[in-house]
Amino acid sequence: MRQKSVWTHPDCTETEIEALKAAGVTEVVLAINHQQPEVMLNFVKEYEKKLDMKITFSQETEPLGTAGPLALARDKLIDESGKPFFVLNSDVICEYPLLEMIQFHKNHGAEASIMVTKVDDPSKYGVVVMEEEARVESFVEKPIHFVGDKINAGIYLLNPSVLDRIELRRTSIEKEIFPKIASEKKLYAMVLPGFWMDIGQPKDYLTGQRMYLNYLRKNAPGKLLVSSGDDVVIGNVMADETAVIGERCLIGPDVVIGAGCVIESGVRLFGCTVMRGVRIKEHACVSDSIVGWDSTVGSWARVADITVLGKDVHVADAEVIQMSAKPEIIQKV
Amino acid sequence: MGSSMEEKVVAVIMVGGPTKGTRFRPLSLNIPKPLFPIAGQPMVHHPISACKRIPNLAQIYLVGFYEEREFALYVSAISNELKVPVRYLREDKPHGSAGGLYHFRNLIMEDDPSHIFLLNCDVCCSFPLPEMLEAHRKYGGIGTLLVIKVSPESANQFGELVADPDTTELLHYTEKPETFVSDLVNCGVYVFTPDIFTAIRDVSSQRKDTAILRRVSSFEALQPATRIPADFVRLDQDILSPLAGKKQLYTYETLDFWEQIKSPGMSLRCSELYLSQFRLTSPQMLASGDGTKTAIVIGDVYIHHSAKIHPTAKIGPNVSISANARVGPGVRLISCIILDDVEIMENAVVTNAIVGWKSSIGRWSRAEGVYNSKLGVTILGDSVAVEDEVVVTSSIVLPNKTLNVSVQDEIIL
Repeated sequence: MRQKSVWTHPDCTETEIEALKAAGVTEVVLAINHQQPEVMLNFVKEYEKKLDMKITFSQETEPLGTAGPLALARDKLIDESGKPFFVLNSDVICEYPLLEMIQFHKNHGAEASIMVTKVDDPSKYGVVVMEEEARVESFVEKPIHFVGDKINAGIYLLNPSVLDRIELRRTSIEKEIFPKIASEKKLYAMVLPGFWMDIGQPKDYLTGQRMYLNYLRKNAPGKLLVSSGDDVVIGNVMADETAVIGERCLIGPDVVIGAGCVIESGVRLFGCTVMRGVRIKEHACVSDSIVGWDSTVGSWARVADITVLGKDVHVADAEVIQMSAKPEIIQKV
Repeated sequence: MGSSMEEKVVAVIMVGGPTKGTRFRPLSLNIPKPLFPIAGQPMVHHPISACKRIPNLAQIYLVGFYEEREFALYVSAISNELKVPVRYLREDKPHGSAGGLYHFRNLIMEDDPSHIFLLNCDVCCSFPLPEMLEAHRKYGGIGTLLVIKVSPESANQFGELVADPDTTELLHYTEKPETFVSDLVNCGVYVFTPDIFTAIRDVSSQRKDTAILRRVSSFEALQPATRIPADFVRLDQDILSPLAGKKQLYTYETLDFWEQIKSPGMSLRCSELYLSQFRLTSPQMLASGDGTKTAIVIGDVYIHHSAKIHPTAKIGPNVSISANARVGPGVRLISCIILDDVEIMENAVVTNAIVGWKSSIGRWSRAEGVYNSKLGVTILGDSVAVEDEVVVTSSIVLPNKTLNVSVQDEIIL
């Protein structure tokens, strides 16, 4: 499993690991690059305890592409049992029907199984062209003409023999490894039920969050917040139990509030992520944006239009921060 | 000329007409510019109140070419309030700043005044009129101009003049020169003796004889000579320039503030100046509050007594709120003019903006101006509705528009 960018929501990783546990996985290897292990270290310790699983790291010292890290972690991935192993992309959010995937993999006797998902604009991604119902024929990267509407969802179940195909160098799994397996007619694809979102871009992250909250509403509504007392909640809102919400607020729809956040009175939040330790001061309004850990949004301030505030950013009182034609990077104050 | 207790003074305030003050749109679409509120009072109210301080003031005339009915109510109300007769005189057509004065000379001279003040309605200053009169009496000329030093870079937007440092005589005058003449400019406030009428009459009759040395526009050149009305006389070019250096005109320099209210953005700036002047001259006009029973008030703020402000709102500095406006909980107002019947809902923010009559600002929304941006101050015309959470930045919104998406740097028709 690979960690890509610094602000990937820790809750997503937890969801993935929980899904893995539910499918019978007992050991997880986090494949990370050289940049920010410390962010993950703390969460990992928590999850190990909470979920009673073994979580280790495999850290690349040079870029190895999308397949190389698997070769790097080879020793951790293979044991004598010869059982297949999951590979998950952490920039993805979906429902993780992993038990079904194990069954699918067994039924087809495949060497490698991948999840695919149906999208409206496939040419943004790599399209997976299927032969019969489930066998993969080829991959077409960002096609100009329509060749299919299923794309690689970033979830794989691979037999250990796949590792024999991967050299320890920068390799792309979609461009080099999978096409080879497909040509040998040993690659099968399962269509992912439910929602799927690539959350690499802030805008898509927020869309994915909306989809995820919608999924919770249907399957685990107890995790969502309901109005109580003076504060008003609209639509799907998830808030950590240690978060404090003031009076005369209007929260939601589609809001996630992290641990230890303080939302002062008269605040409006919608379509946004508020990470751990954030303080949103009185009368502010945050919409369609991500507020990073330990940041502050000043009183009467307005954060809008896919703004991303990194860690420890302080928006002064009564200012407007928004993205206009080009994205702006806000320096740490 | 000794000052006699019988000597009466008359003031004339030029208010212009619909073809003037077009830069003030959209705010002047519904109301004549002279009646637009600055610091809670109609623009023309400020020079009128200043005239009240002139000793032996007999009459105030408002001269312009708006319809009479537009000023009828205001004029009768202000006459009652100030206990000074105020009359609106309508020009049938524009006569120019001096021509207008001349056109009504009989009425103006009715009280046989010894001195006549001429003020432009859209001037924002401290109007040191009694001091100007006293100085004028000493100088003994036919007129005295109020002048002020400005920054050399901005001087060429105005009438630049040169004055004798000892006698204060006006030596040279030129309107909007191309090259730098002087950093002393004409404020648009004058005091004259009745000889001014003779001077204006002489200009009209000499017009045909004098060669026109300034550049004329193509439009003017194509007019047959008879169509240039003899009675269109501009004070600056036609009176001040020729009379400069002839020991007829003098200057009085003010060290206080001075601005011209040409654009809606300037009205916000001038509102600030007059509000700070109230702090010194009539502090009872300003609002105060500490958030317990009434809203928190910071700096100079005017709130009409009929306006309703929630105690959790925070108002100021430099805010004027007109009659029957409603300001909801948690609202923040900074540097703005809120006109009659406006409703501002919870937690909204208005800063560097003018919100027109009957407009509404939704919950958590913002009307915000940015001074050095292209359009500057945000102006909402009358009956504009800004929906919840919408942000309007540096934009001008014409009347009756509903905004349901955020806008920036735009003119919304």
